[in-house]
Amino acid sequence: MRIMTVLPALVAAALAGMPAPASAAWKGYISHPLGFSFAAPGELKVEKGTYRADVAGARDTVVYRFVDDDIEYRVVVVDVRDKANDSANLLGEAAYTFQDGKKLLMDAFGRVERHIGRKLTIDLPNNGGRTLAAFYFTRGRIVSLQATVLPANGDYDSPEPARFIDSIAFETTRAPDDAIELPAPPR
Amino acid sequence: MGRWTLTALAGAALVLAAMPAQAAWKTYVNKELGFSFMAPGEVKTGIGNFRASIAGPHQTIVYRSTEDGVEYKVTVINFPQAQAEGAAILGEREYTFADRKKVLMDKFSRVGSGKDAVYGRKIVVDLPDNKGRATGAFYFTKGRLIYLEATALPAKADSASADADRFVESISFVLTRPDPGAVELQVPAIN
Repeated sequence: MRIMTVLPALVAAALAGMPAPASAAWKGYISHPLGFSFAAPGELKVEKGTYRADVAGARDTVVYRFVDDDIEYRVVVVDVRDKANDSANLLGEAAYTFQDGKKLLMDAFGRVERHIGRKLTIDLPNNGGRTLAAFYFTRGRIVSLQATVLPANGDYDSPEPARFIDSIAFETTRAPDDAIELPAPPR
Repeated sequence: MGRWTLTALAGAALVLAAMPAQAAWKTYVNKELGFSFMAPGEVKTGIGNFRASIAGPHQTIVYRSTEDGVEYKVTVINFPQAQAEGAAILGEREYTFADRKKVLMDKFSRVGSGKDAVYGRKIVVDLPDNKGRATGAFYFTKGRLIYLEATALPAKADSASADADRFVESISFVLTRPDPGAVELQVPAIN
């Protein structure tokens, strides 16, 4: 009986003493053609996606995606160079669409060098997690960084999403010397 | 009974006489610059100056009226050579409007719908040193920064909020069905 009581306690103590799952190291990434750099943890995957909005129309996107510790990090690039003269409207539409119909927790200016955009936090529907995002316009493209803390992580106050969002730089000289050049999107 | 009616009518007349006369709101349209808005009072056209870090120095076109302690102002700045910088120029103007002020509201604003929609921000701030309350709406479309500001004196800050809202919400960038009674605004020559 005593063993039955002590054993679970010992197991629990051993588990508590174990280190938490190791987070992947953060690496710097840069795209000279797109004109930005950022940092993220985990393995990089490059994907193609789609974006559709009334002003922008239907667009292909390039998505740089990472997952670490049940946080998904995405950099979404929407090429709207043919409508670059409407940049304010395209950027406003992208940020508006992102939060439309969601529970908006934070909506603030985001300023990086000469680029002024928006930083937004939303709760995803159906307890799908919490996303911190930033939207900027550079070189004819909407660049959005989105970090989603998934329910499996559950630490919605984690500093990691902000670290990711705030790592964006548009002056490529600000990127770390060992930043990895982002590959071209798959065809 | 007749005496009571007469007394009530006289009272109502006195109340009406004591109320400040409200100027009628009119629609103003600028076909050349592609927008319309509504404002009370007599709208005057002027030229001003604007300077900002990203936008640089520019002359502005200003349409302004004052009514019952509230200044209504529409400012237009042309950026024919920097349209691709519109997002940064708009963001900078919104940022400076709110900077170092008590922000009461800052939210998305959308004028129109569908592919003709124009996205901007609506911001309400209390001005420093108890100078009143300013309601602003900011847009960048077709190479122009266009913003509306309604600034109320401190004593009018609360009571004028509905009029300030009405003013900034009246902006339209679609002129397909202009108000037949609309007053057409002229565009002054600027350098």
